[in-house]
Amino acid sequence: MGEADIKHKLRTWIVDRSKQPDAKDILTDETPIIDSGLLSSLDIAEFVLYIESLLGQEIDIDDLEPEAFTSTNTMYETFFAQGSGSL
Amino acid sequence: MNAPAVQSRTVAGGFLASAQRYPDRPALAIRDDSLSYAELRERAAAIAATLQRHDTADGPALTGIYGHRSFVAFSGVLGALLRGHGYVPLNPVFPSDRNAAMATRAELRCIVAEAQSLARFEEVLEDIPGPLIVLVPDADDISALADAFPRHRFLARPDLVSASSWHPGEADPDGIAYLLFTSGSTGQPKGVMVAHRNVTSFVDCMADRYGVTEHDRFSQTFDLTFDLSAFDMFVAWERGACVCCPTAQEKLFPSKYIDAHQITIWFSVPSTAVMMSKMRMLKPGKYPSIRYSLFCGEALPVEVAHAFQQAAPESRLENLYGPTELTIACTLYEFDATRTPQQALHGVVPIGEPYPDMRALIVDEALRPVADGEAGELIMTGPQLTLGYWKDEEKTRAAFTVPPDETDVFYRTGDRVLRRAPGEPLLYLGRVDNQIKVQGYRVELGEIEAVIREEADTEVAVALGFPVGSNGVEGIVGFISKADADLEALRQAVRGRLPAYMQPSEIRHIPEFPLNANGKVDRPALLRGLQADAAS
Repeated sequence: MGEADIKHKLRTWIVDRSKQPDAKDILTDETPIIDSGLLSSLDIAEFVLYIESLLGQEIDIDDLEPEAFTSTNTMYETFFAQGSGSL
Repeated sequence: MNAPAVQSRTVAGGFLASAQRYPDRPALAIRDDSLSYAELRERAAAIAATLQRHDTADGPALTGIYGHRSFVAFSGVLGALLRGHGYVPLNPVFPSDRNAAMATRAELRCIVAEAQSLARFEEVLEDIPGPLIVLVPDADDISALADAFPRHRFLARPDLVSASSWHPGEADPDGIAYLLFTSGSTGQPKGVMVAHRNVTSFVDCMADRYGVTEHDRFSQTFDLTFDLSAFDMFVAWERGACVCCPTAQEKLFPSKYIDAHQITIWFSVPSTAVMMSKMRMLKPGKYPSIRYSLFCGEALPVEVAHAFQQAAPESRLENLYGPTELTIACTLYEFDATRTPQQALHGVVPIGEPYPDMRALIVDEALRPVADGEAGELIMTGPQLTLGYWKDEEKTRAAFTVPPDETDVFYRTGDRVLRRAPGEPLLYLGRVDNQIKVQGYRVELGEIEAVIREEADTEVAVALGFPVGSNGVEGIVGFISKADADLEALRQAVRGRLPAYMQPSEIRHIPEFPLNANGKVDRPALLRGLQADAAS
C-alpha cells in the first residue's frame, strides 16, 4: 500500500466513524481530528485496532505520544512512514 | 477574602475557604500549566467583578460558559458562582444549534467564552437573537466579532476589572448552582435546576467518604456539560485538592495521564475503562497512585471493574449511580473481587445503597412499594432532590411527585432496579423504557444483552425491541461490534439460553456503536438505523 492509499483509508475510517455530519467536507490530511471534534477519545481505541489491522501487528501504546493522533498526516508519519520511530 | 457566612454553604464557598487556607497549592492543572488557588480565585473574581459591572439588566441569575478543558472554562464557572449566578455549561464540541438552543432556552444575558473556540462560537452567536454580553477573558482584541454582531456586546482582557472590586453576589442555598441540559430522547433538551444545597449535601457526603485532602489529585475526564464534572471540581476544591483536566488529546492516553499527574482519585464512565482494557492499558499494578477508582454513568461490567482494580491495586473501586435530577450520584457500591461476582446480575456491578441522607423506594406503576425481592422503578428523595426542570412545570410535575402514603416529593428515575433480599445491594436492570412487552411477556432487554455479551465474549452488546407493530414489540434485534464473530453461531447459542419470546430474531454486527455526547451507547440512533433499513 502506498502513502496515498493509506491516507485514504485513514480518512475514510474517520468520516465513517465521525458523528459530525460535515466530516467529509472539513477533513483534510492536516485537520486536527480530536480538537476539531471529528473523533472522540473513545473512538481512538477502535482506531488503534484498525491501524493494527492495517499494519498486521500490535502497537505498543505506552511508547506513543498523544500527538501521534493529531491528524491523518501525523498518523501516517508515526505508523506507516519508512523508518518510523515507534515500530 | 473572608466570605460572608451565607457563602460558606454555597458551591463557591468551599472553594473560597480552600483558597484562603491553601493559596499556594495547585487548584487546577491543564497541559503543562497549573493555577494555584490564589491565581484561580483572582481570575474568577475578576470575571465576577467584570460581569457585575456590565451586566445590570434584570433576568434569570444565570451565566453561560462556552469553554472546553481550558482555564477560562473553569474560572468562568467559578466567576459565575462568585457573582451569585448559576452556571450553564455550553460545549464547543456540541453542534452550534444545540448550544444556541440551550442559551436561548436559559434566557442567558451573559456568556463567558474562551478565545480558542471563538470561530465556532460565531455560529452560536448568529442563532441567539437577544442582546448578549460576551466576555472573552483571554482575548486581547475582539473588535472583529463586535463588528460582525452589533446586537451583542463584547468584552475582552483589557475590559477586565480588578478582582479586588468583586463583591460577593447574593447567593441563596436554594438558588440554582447550575442549570444542566440533558438530552431528552425526543424534542427539546430539558434543563435540570440544581440548587446550591443539593450540591453541598453531595459534596459533604463524598469528601467525607473519600477522606479528601489537599494532597489529592482528581482526574477531570468529563466535559462540563456532563454533571459528573461537578464531582471533580467541587469535591476537590472543597478540600484544597487539585483538579487535573486532560485535553481532548491527552484523554486518548489515560495511562500516561494518570502517571504524569499522579492521579489519586480517578472518575470516569465505564466506557473509558473498556477503552483502556482494549488498548492494553490495564496491566496489573500499573497505577499505584490511585486511592479511589470511581465509575458512574452507565452499567459497569464486573470484569472491567476487576481489571481496573488490579491495575490500581491500592485503590478502592466504587460504582456510583445517579440521574442529574438527584445531583450527580445518589447510590454507591464498593467493589469486592470475591463478593461482587456473587451479588452481580448479568455480569454488571450492583449500584449498592442510597447515600446516607437519601431515601429510596422500589415501586410499581402505581408508585406503591413492590414486595421484597421484586423489581420495580427506583424513586428517591432527600437533600439531593433538585428543583425540577427549567420553565417546564408539566415535565416537573410528571417526574417529581408524591407517592401514595408518602408526604415527601420523590423523583422518578425511570430506572428499573431489584433488591433480591433485604440486606442485598440494589441491582440496576435498565431503563423502564427498556422493559418491553413481547407476546404479553415482560422482557428486560438488559438480560438479553447480558446473554449476548457472554456468548460473544465481548464487553458491549445492545438489544432493541424491533419492529414495533400495532400490538407492541414484535421482535428483538441484537447488536455487537466484535469484528470476528460468527453471527449465526452466536444467535444459536443465545437461543439455547433464552425462552422463545426473548430470543433475538437477528443479531447484527456494526463496526462501532454510536455514542451520544456523554460517551454512552446511543440507543435511539441504533433504533433509527433499523427503522431506516426497514423503510428502504
